[in-house]
Amino acid sequence: MTNLVQSQSSTLTGVNNDNLMLDVKNLQLYFPITQGVFARVQGYTKAADDVSFFIRQGETVGLVGESGCGKTTVGRCIVRAYEPTGGEIIYHRADGTTVDLAKLQGDELKPYRRDIRLIFQDPYFSLNPRMTVFEIVSEVLKVNKLATPAEMKDRVVALLQRVGLRPEYMQRYPHAFSGGERQRISIARSLITSPRMVVCDEAVSALDVSIRAQILNLLEELQADFNLTYLFISHDLSVIHHICDRIVVMYVGKVVEIADATELFVNPRHPYTEALLSAVPITNPRDRQAVGRIRLEGEIADPSNPPTGCYFHPRCKYAQERCKTETPPLRNLENEHFVACHFSEELELTNVQLR
Amino acid sequence: MSDTLIEVNDLKIHFFTDEGVVRAVDGVDLTIERGKTLCLVGESGCGKSVACRAFLQIVHSIGKIVSGEIIYHRRVDNNFEETIDIAQLNPKGRQIREIRGKEISMIFQEPMTSLSPMYTVGNQIMENILLHTNLSKEEARQLCVQLLDQVGIPQPHRLVDEYPFRLSGGMRQRAMIAMALSCNPTLLIADEPTTALDVTTQANILDLMRNIQKEYQMALLFITHDLGVVAEIADTVAVMYLGKIVESGDVDTIFNNPKHPYTQALLRSIPKISRTREKLDTIQGMVPNPYRRPGGCPFHPRCTQAMPECSTMVPSVTRFSDGHTTRCLLYENITTKQFAELS
Ligand SMILES: Nc1ncnc2c1ncn2[C@@H]1O[C@H](COP(=O)(O)OP(=O)(O)OP(=O)(O)O)[C@@H](O)[C@H]1O
Ligand SMILES: Nc1ncnc2c1ncn2[C@@H]1O[C@H](COP(=O)(O)OP(=O)(O)OP(=O)(O)O)[C@@H](O)[C@H]1O
Ligand code: SF4
Ligand code: SF4
Ligand SMILES: [Mg+2]
Ligand SMILES: [Mg+2]
Repeated sequence: MTNLVQSQSSTLTGVNNDNLMLDVKNLQLYFPITQGVFARVQGYTKAADDVSFFIRQGETVGLVGESGCGKTTVGRCIVRAYEPTGGEIIYHRADGTTVDLAKLQGDELKPYRRDIRLIFQDPYFSLNPRMTVFEIVSEVLKVNKLATPAEMKDRVVALLQRVGLRPEYMQRYPHAFSGGERQRISIARSLITSPRMVVCDEAVSALDVSIRAQILNLLEELQADFNLTYLFISHDLSVIHHICDRIVVMYVGKVVEIADATELFVNPRHPYTEALLSAVPITNPRDRQAVGRIRLEGEIADPSNPPTGCYFHPRCKYAQERCKTETPPLRNLENEHFVACHFSEELELTNVQLR
Repeated sequence: MSDTLIEVNDLKIHFFTDEGVVRAVDGVDLTIERGKTLCLVGESGCGKSVACRAFLQIVHSIGKIVSGEIIYHRRVDNNFEETIDIAQLNPKGRQIREIRGKEISMIFQEPMTSLSPMYTVGNQIMENILLHTNLSKEEARQLCVQLLDQVGIPQPHRLVDEYPFRLSGGMRQRAMIAMALSCNPTLLIADEPTTALDVTTQANILDLMRNIQKEYQMALLFITHDLGVVAEIADTVAVMYLGKIVESGDVDTIFNNPKHPYTQALLRSIPKISRTREKLDTIQGMVPNPYRRPGGCPFHPRCTQAMPECSTMVPSVTRFSDGHTTRCLLYENITTKQFAELS
């Protein structure tokens, strides 16, 4: 049964509800930690632990944060490769009705597997080496009987051309292609169903700079052509700044800051965001001695046993007593700039000087 | 005794496949100094990984070192040094097995193919320690936990017994780094070791490598697509294109006075964090088919400064004053012209 939900406002306050595409509310995914012969559950890795953010139609939203903070987990919940253990993923269909993807099971998910697609991190391992490019790109159409063989061929040919691959090479196997070409194949595979939204999980990280620039330009062109919405997961903040309209920052399974892309760089309000921005690699060796770069000290939080209060407090240089006991809520400072820190208003954080 | 640790001269590695010969590495020259960092950059498929795997004699079976030498100045003790040509060693022989994983260790590009899914992370790191040291099992395990902690793995006591697939991408990469550092190598070859890491973790890992480098005089050969990382850590940089080093020099020169059109284009295609977001500069055209590499200067089909002779003449090395070299006809012409003017 499809779970029809009335269009409702985000859990985040002060959000303009126009044009919402996805509203993720208090999303949770706990992985059981098992041990011993009877696989007894010893505890849970809280990979996603109360994640709330939203994505508007046609937007590119960036998801950033420390390795292991749960970005891939969130992306996989949205495409429903994982089943969340709590929370909601409210999807706004093209006709304006909404559905909670978190609650759907099995065949109920089928229509949304076409609407929301995933591009994987690694162009080398995500393509089946025993399938031809044609088979890889058309697989989802065949499995879901979405097109006749003749239509399928036309669509694959048109799409391969669009992503800059020669259709003559359609019968070749992935090993015959370079990293950049393979990433184009992955993109074609994700776009073949005419999706509305694409989750790009480190989609350009394995590519060298010049090919990465080509793929980023391509993703932007495709967005304009097909009115696509992107959730863009990446470690590379220069890429994130280049391609995203808004940015969501996560720390140990929680969202700590959400802001417009430029706003986040020039006016960060969370101490973790400050540390993240100050670690962006320099672009010229002459800046090596630059002062004021923050190194995060202290033990990296364990998602199976997170600290009390604000999860960031053991590593935060601004932490006070209150931070050890009281969890800061994600609140709207102004104009949809959200932050989860008790002292955002008082702190003078270092920003990035944009030229 | 020299400061040079490894000298690579005219190294050629070819793959003999059913479809033809791939000249993956086609005349590479490199020098690695003791305790210094050399960064190797270049387009995907240009031969960086193949070249570095040769330093450990682990070239894929259809690949052959067809010519050239990899001279390793091995310090046996404080006043004796032997010279070994690694290119001549038997890949299965005793000598290379002593060197591999101990004196020269490598962080591989694909953490999933070098970490076995069948064994816990701890067992795999301990195996390397036990192979190369006299530590007991218990001591090896302690060292292993300590290493995992140093590379920033949370709860190392628990995760030492985890299987790789239950770790996030970046945690697997850090486990690999711990394994490579486990025997204090003289040379660490790091093939894209930080691509899966966030910038704060990356900054910590780079600090860790720098500290180990200082403490143990470890040389670092760092392969990366991330020019920001190069700017942070390199002493010298070598830029590779289609199997050849097209430019090399100290890091400041490469960033601020690059000569080769490929290096210049590479530096232009980095997205800059700036107020205006323009379309990114790209290098026109695709990486050429490995079986049909262009004649003349291999970069000519994509070079914005190509001249008619570039499609037929192979550029040779031009040396500028300060150890800065390039392979491009633009400068050969200048030098011949200048030479003509002088004489
Ligand atoms: N299949 C799984 N089983 C158990 N735990 C998992 C699984 N996948 C991920 N985890 C754990 O969940 C947490 C979040 O992992 P996730 O892969 O979402 O992180 P990430 O933010 O994408 O990190 P990275 O930037 O390194 O890719 C980690 O602690 C990881 O160990
Ligand atoms: N086992 C193999 N068989 C045939 N060709 C190979 C093999 N391994 C590598 N090659 C070829 O050798 C060339 C160089 O590959 P290499 O892996 O060294 O590139 P790279 O510079 O490390 O690229 P990347 O930045 O993508 O890792 C490529 O054209 C590749 O196709
Ligand atoms: S709530 Fe306290 S510990 Fe958390 S980020 Fe803010 S100042 Fe730091
Ligand atoms: S030799 Fe010619 S084609 Fe090659 S890089 Fe120089 S100018 Fe460009
Ligand atoms: Mg991930
Ligand atoms: Mg490589």
